Formats: sequence, C-alpha cells, structure tokens
Amino acid sequence: MDLARLSTLAVRARTIVEGALSGVHRNLHPGTSLEFTEHKEYAPGDDVRRIDWKAVARTDRYTIKRFENETEMRMLLVLDTSASMGYRRTSVSKLEYATYLCAALAYLVSQQRDAAGLLAFDHTTRAILPPSTRPGQIREVLAALESLRPSGVANADRAADAVNELCDKRSLVILFSDLLDSEDAPAGPTAKGQLADRVRQLRARGHDVVLFHLLDPDEIELPFDELMFFEGMEPGDERTLLAEAGDLAQAFREESANFRERWRTTCLEARVDYRFARTDTPPAELLHAFLADRAGRP
Amino acid sequence: MRFLAPALLLGIVAAALPYLIHRVGKRRALPVRFAAMQLLLRSERRVHARRKLREILLMLARTAAAASLPFIFARPFSERATDLPVVTLDAQAAVILVDDSASMQRTSGGGTLFGRARARAQALARQFPSDSELAFLVTSAGAPPRIGELEPDRARVIEAIESTRCSARPADFTSAMRQAALILAPSPRAHKRVYLFTDLQATGWEDGAGLPAEGAPEVIIDDVAAGAALENRAIIEAHVEPSAEGGPGSIAVTAEIADFSARGVPALGVTLRVDGVAVAQGTVELSPGGHARKRFLHSLAGDGSSSHDLVVEIDGDAFPLDDRRQMHVEMARTLRVLVVDGDPRTTRNEDEAFFFEAALRNGVPGALVTTKLGDDVPVDGLGAYTVVALLNVGRPAQALAVALERFVETGGGLFLAMGDRVDTSLWNERMAKLLPQPLGLVRTASALPGQHTGETVDERPAERLLPLDRRHPLLAAFPEQGDGLVSARFFKYVLLDPVRDTAVRNVILRYESGAPALVEREVGKGRVMLLTTTVDREWTDLPIRAGFLPLVREAARRLVGASDEDSAATLLVGEPRMLTFSGDLQTLEVTRPDGSVWVGKREQAGATRTLAFAGSEQIGIYRVRGAGADETFARQAAQDFAVNLDPRESDPARLAPEKRPDRIAVRTGGATPPKHRIELWHLLSAALILLLLVESLLALRWRRAAAVEDQVEAKAEAKAEVP
Repeated sequence: MDLARLSTLAVRARTIVEGALSGVHRNLHPGTSLEFTEHKEYAPGDDVRRIDWKAVARTDRYTIKRFENETEMRMLLVLDTSASMGYRRTSVSKLEYATYLCAALAYLVSQQRDAAGLLAFDHTTRAILPPSTRPGQIREVLAALESLRPSGVANADRAADAVNELCDKRSLVILFSDLLDSEDAPAGPTAKGQLADRVRQLRARGHDVVLFHLLDPDEIELPFDELMFFEGMEPGDERTLLAEAGDLAQAFREESANFRERWRTTCLEARVDYRFARTDTPPAELLHAFLADRAGRP
Repeated sequence: MRFLAPALLLGIVAAALPYLIHRVGKRRALPVRFAAMQLLLRSERRVHARRKLREILLMLARTAAAASLPFIFARPFSERATDLPVVTLDAQAAVILVDDSASMQRTSGGGTLFGRARARAQALARQFPSDSELAFLVTSAGAPPRIGELEPDRARVIEAIESTRCSARPADFTSAMRQAALILAPSPRAHKRVYLFTDLQATGWEDGAGLPAEGAPEVIIDDVAAGAALENRAIIEAHVEPSAEGGPGSIAVTAEIADFSARGVPALGVTLRVDGVAVAQGTVELSPGGHARKRFLHSLAGDGSSSHDLVVEIDGDAFPLDDRRQMHVEMARTLRVLVVDGDPRTTRNEDEAFFFEAALRNGVPGALVTTKLGDDVPVDGLGAYTVVALLNVGRPAQALAVALERFVETGGGLFLAMGDRVDTSLWNERMAKLLPQPLGLVRTASALPGQHTGETVDERPAERLLPLDRRHPLLAAFPEQGDGLVSARFFKYVLLDPVRDTAVRNVILRYESGAPALVEREVGKGRVMLLTTTVDREWTDLPIRAGFLPLVREAARRLVGASDEDSAATLLVGEPRMLTFSGDLQTLEVTRPDGSVWVGKREQAGATRTLAFAGSEQIGIYRVRGAGADETFARQAAQDFAVNLDPRESDPARLAPEKRPDRIAVRTGGATPPKHRIELWHLLSAALILLLLVESLLALRWRRAAAVEDQVEAKAEAKAEVP
C-alpha cells in the first residue's frame, strides 16, 4: 500500500468534510432515544445542542452525551467499480469521485465514532469491510478505497447479497454508481429493473438507502462535435457506433435527462434518497448539500 | 443529347469525389471509449432515419454537382428540327429586321402577320450561337432603330423584339436595309447577314434594296405570309366637299374603293357615319382588281355644330385598317366667297374677277363664288359669306366699310386687291381699321425693257418677288424654288406707308424692291389680306402664272380660318400637322385617338405662329384644345384633324421575285429539315448553381437548427440554476 497516496486520500477526505460541514452541525443519523449511554468528545458534525455543559465545567473539555440510538448507527458505503465508472475525459473519473465521497463520509462517521463499512463490487466483490467502530477501521476503509480500480461489469445481485450479509441491523446504505446499463439488465428493461428491485428490497429491510447517481459531464451533454468512433468500456461490450457526434448531441441530452428522471422517479417511489452528481461538481459542495438535507430530516 | 467536347466527359469520375471524401472522413473518426453507450445507441436510433436521409440528400447533391462539371465542360446540346434558316447555326453578325408596317396587321390563321413575324424573329434570335452579335431594326418609314449596333447580349435583343408593336406607318425597306448594311459594315466577322421578317408586300421597295454594290451582307427573307396571294379591299381615298346640290350645310362625301384580288365583289357594303351615327349606306360593285367610287350626299344644316367627324366604312376583311377612312370637317371653313368687282369689263379675260373666280373654282373644289358690283353689295347680308374679296374697288361706301369691319371682327375673311381705280386717300380714311398698312403711292417698276431675256409676254419694266419664305403656312404648299410665283412680273403696285407697330401685320410676299406685295392682318376673329397689285393682267402677269391658282386658293382658305390646307385636316400616318396659335393662344394640346396628349407652346412656334405636330402615328381623329395666358383650355375644333392609313399599304401585291434582295432559300423543301442546335450547358450551369445553393441551404439549415436547440437548452439550464 502506498502510504503517501493513502495519506493524500485521508487529507482529501478531511478537507471535503471540513468544507462540507461548514454551517452543518448535525450527524447523519440523529438519535431519538432518551437512554443515555456514554459521553463523547465533541467532534465537528455533532449537534452543539447536545454538549453536556456540566461535563465541560468539570473537565474543561467539550463533551456531548450519546444515547443508545446514536451508538447503533451503521453506515455501509456500497461502491460500483465496474469499468464504466472509470470513464474520464476532463474531470476525475466517476470512480475517483465516488472514492472521494466515500472517504469523506467514512472519515466523518469515524470522527463521530460510528460504524462505517465498505463494499466495492463489479461482477465480483472487490472489497468488503463490515461496518465497525474500531480505531483502525477508517484506515482500512481508506486503504481499500485507494486500491480500487475500474474493471468488470457490475453485478447488482451479488452486491445486494453482500449487503444483506453485512447489515443485519438497520443501517445507512449509501450506493455509488453510474447506473449505466442497469436498465438493460435481464430482469427488466427499465429503471425498475434488476438494480431497482435490489434497492427496493434493501429499503424494505429497513435500511436507510441513499443512491448517489454519478455521471461524467460528457454523459450528460455529449459535447463532441466531430466524427467519433464510440466503443463500449466494459468487458464483453462489443457495442460500437460511428457517428457525427454533433448530430447526436440533442437526442443524447434528451435521453440522458430521461434516464436520470426515470431513476429519480424510481427512487422516489421506493423512498430512496436519490442524489444526482456530476463529476465536475466539487465533492464538498455535494456533501454539504447532502448533509444539510440529512440534518433537516426527522 | 450530343456533346461538342465529349472527351471532357472523362471528368465524370469526379462524381466519385464526394463519396471518396466521405470515406476518407470516416477513417479520420476520433475513437473514444464511452461509458454511456446505452444512451448513445438510443439517441442514434432516434436520429438515424433523419440523419441517413440528410446524408443521402447531401451525397446526392454533391455527387450531382461534381458530375455536372465535366458534363457542362463537354458542352452538351440537343438538336431540334426547325423551319428557320439553316444559316443561323453559324456564329455571325446579324441584323434582324421585322416589318412593322401597317400591312402586317393583317390577320391570318388566328393572329396577325406581325405577331407571327415577331415570334419567328424571337425564335431566330434564340437560335443563334451564343457568340453571335445581333442588331434589331424595324422597317416602317421613319422608325428609329431599336438596337442600332451589334449586341452580343441576345436577351436584350429578344426583349427588344418582344416589346415592339406594329405601327400604322408605311414600309420603307430601302432605308431599313441601308441601315442594316451600315451596321454590319464595320464588323470583322466572316458571316454578315440580314434577316428580314415580312409579308413581302411590294410597297416599301420602290427605291430598291438599299444594299451597297460591293460587300453587301447576305439577305435572308422570312415570308411570314408563306407565299400566299393576299386579298384585300380598301378605301384608298375619301374626301368631303360642300355640295351645292343639297343646299346650305350640305356635303358630298366621295370614297374611292379598290379591290386587290382576283375575284372582285359584286356588292360591297359602304356606310357613311357622321359623328358616329350611320347616316347613309350603299353598295358598290368591284371588279377583280378594280376601283369603284361611292358618293354620299348628306346635309349637316341645323344640327347646331360646325365641326363633324365623318367615317366611310366598307364591309370588313382580314386587314381592317383600310376598311374605314375618317375625315374631320369644319363647316365654318367652307368657302362661300363674295367677289366685289370694282372694274367690270365686257371682255371676260380683262375683268378683275375673271382670274380670281377661275382660281377659286378650280383651286377649291366646292367653293361657292358670288360676284357683285360695288354698288350691289348687300351690306346686311355679308354673314352669308365666309370671304369677301374687294377687287380694284375705287371708293368703298361708308356703309360697306362699316359692314366689312363687323364682318371681319366676327370671323370673316377679307381679301383686298389694288388697281388703278383705287382711291388710296379714301381707302385710308374709310378702311383704316381693316388695312394692314395705309396705302401710299402707286409705284411703276423701273427695270428697262428687254432686261429679262427670253420673256416675251410683255416688255414693260417689271419687278419680281423676293424668294419665298416657306415657313409661312400660306406658302408652305409651294415648291422650294417658288416655281410659278417668283417668275411673275409686276409692273405696278401700291406702296404701303410705314406703320409704327409692325407686329399687327405680317408681310407674306415682297417685291425685289423690298416693298410688300401681300400683307395680312388679324382684326378681331377675322383676317384681312392685301395684295398691292391687281388680280388681272393690268399691273402684273401674275394671274397667268402657275403660282396664281395656289396663291388664291391658300389665301382664301387662310381667310376662312383654314390656315392649313383643308386636305391637311386629313393626314396620312406619319405626316406632320401644322397647328396655328391664333389670337392670344399660348398653349395647344393635341389628344391622340388613344387618349395620350401632346402639348405645344407658343414660344416654340416663332414668328409664323405655326408649330408642326409630328406625332400622327395612330389612325383616328386628333382633337385640339388651346389655352391663353390664363391657361383655360377651349376646343379648337377648327384645328382637329383625322389621320388615315397610307393607301400604299392597302395593296397586298407581292414583291416580284427578281426584285427580292435575298440570295438564300429560307424554307426547307427537302426531305431532311435543318436542325437547330439547342445548347444545354447554360441550363446545366444554372442547375448546378441551384444544386449548390440547395446543398448550402440544407447544410446551413441543419447546422442552424442544432445551434438553436443548443441555445434553447443552455437558456433552460441557466434558468434552472437560478435559485
């Protein structure tokens, strides 16, 4: 493992978190139980209203009270590492972008002493770290993230099975994927196909599911204006297209918008938190919006 | 279709260029591994059909454009059989002559001969090779050249032919051919030709072919009458005169009708119309090629108008222009002359009135002449006359002088002739208001006997007249040299005393001494004319000279207000009409039969107060109005006139073959008609330009549509980003 790169990812995660937490002081999963369990040193992201001022007076350290519900928060980051996630032209790849977000979220959760886990998958499981609050967990998550490379074809079934194994309790499941080709899966030709069904099942099991839909700007606008020879990225994908990209742009933009809209509708129906992200959007900005929304939720 | 340069068709391989470029463009496609193939392929399915169609259209347009270039360079042409002269297939300098004379208005086969000539001339102009030079003339007398120099622009020539209308003028082929030869003379081209489209009427060729003896261009005549012997029946002459048979106001209208056919007509209907109303009808029998005369008597008295339009018509035929003849008659101009004989003699040829009456009766057909002695003049009855002539009246009575003043002021004409009985003092006293100048001494010519060698009539000393000033309307009818008038000898005449205001009188004739011989003056609405010598042979031999009759005739007509000849009130097409600014008229307006108006100004007329109207191009009645300084116009019916067809145009006799100037057969009698080559390269060029335009428009339209969609989308996104 390249310690320098790991360190870079950790720094980047911390930077993203600090930027994202500006003005947001509530954690991802606010507790509702009144049963006190322990004191915890204040960390950015904690609700300042929870600071135990008496304890502060006694120890001269900012301490907050934790309740049972809060200590049970488990977050599983599920990351699609299929070959299509490696597409990049001008900005970072979707996989890199997802890695930053995962690192930041893992960092944030670990700072709150919550359990964070990681599941990376393509046609097979590339990394698996069950949610845990142990001290070395964050480092392992970051290391696993750093080692991920785009390859293969996403297999939603296997990923869903792995999630079920990892999360026997109610968890926050955050899925990062470009969702490309998900609609052409055998289970169904639409957004209500295989992956959609799996997401719906997770939600049915009581998990709080967030879907980060990541797309490169090229996959939204098709900004080419010349004769292009397009080839599929994933293994076994023999699809090619020779076309004057400028002629396709308008139809492509409409198709892309329809694609996002279908997923947004599907998630809304399944009560899944749908988050669309362009990879040219600063991760901190996206995370900030996400945290702000989560903080506002009951 | 054939080609002038078929080898250039090898360039047709250029048609493959767009496809090759298309293929080359494909190899340069930018490869990219793309994740969203699913979306891309869906998009492709959506635009595939439209894009394919566009690509096919563009490919076709570009291939056709590339293929058409060598096709154009190969100069394709097609051939079509033509009945136009085969010689038009060579590049050449050519003058197209179209006969626009009146005879071409003959109808034939549903159209006029002129229409056929014009269409064939246009077809001819189109048929010439593009590197030919053309000029275009018409053949009617006096017509200006339409395109008077060789012109490479065929479209301009075709347009000029198209805009040409048939005239009513007679033909003058001689002048037109001469003009055509002059146009062609400086051209360096080997082939110089004159193409004449005509009915081959003999009229207009009287002065020859008009071509130079050497270096004459080839002449090709296109006979639009197709060699047919044309028939015609025409009124070739018509005139109106006062008639003594029908009493006051009665007229006699005589029409001469000619047949130009081999059949004749047993009963050809003839109608007289007065002011548009048929008043008399009859028939004439015309033998083949013969003439007949029809005379109508009609009374115009009592209708309250002195001005009438007369039309004589015959039954219509294929050439309607000469089936009617129009006249304008002004009854006030009718000569009713009272001759007052002041020195009656028993010997007729010594009598003052003898020569004068004879001149009037012979010079003015229909003139009513009454002769009385001085004492018998009915002073209260002068109104029955239009002219009073006092011939050697010695002492006019006071009552007569007063009556004459009233007579002249109300529009009458007064002619005064001197003699040895005239009491000049008494005349100056009683006739002062009428005399153009006071009478003076009687002068006897001082030339020596025998001075004028060869003149045996009389050896007395004599003077002659100065050369005539033919600008005066009275003298306009005389020959240029004044034959018959300037040779007259004058032995005695009355000198006239000078007057302060010379503008009131106009000297028409002068003796060699400079003394006035014939002077006129306007008094009121009438006019007085004074001859300072006798109208018998006592003081002059003028009465026996040839010029005496026309002089008396013109003087009489001028005195009744017909300052121009009565015959001039009926002109032939193209003849000028002399108009007079009488009284205080400053402006004259002539309204042509088609309603167009010509305006003449007094300052253009000069001292003679007459102005020539040269626009008599249409057949019909021309109306004249006049206005004084206050610009209030009033009819000048006395100056109205009619314009008729030149009778030469009525004769359809064809030009004799030996007089034809053409040396090349026009019509093809052979089995194989000549073929007219129609070059197609310019049409193809136009098609190519159109093709490129369409290609550009298609490409531009599609690009613009895409750009607009981009803009709309960008705006929508910008709007969505605004919180």
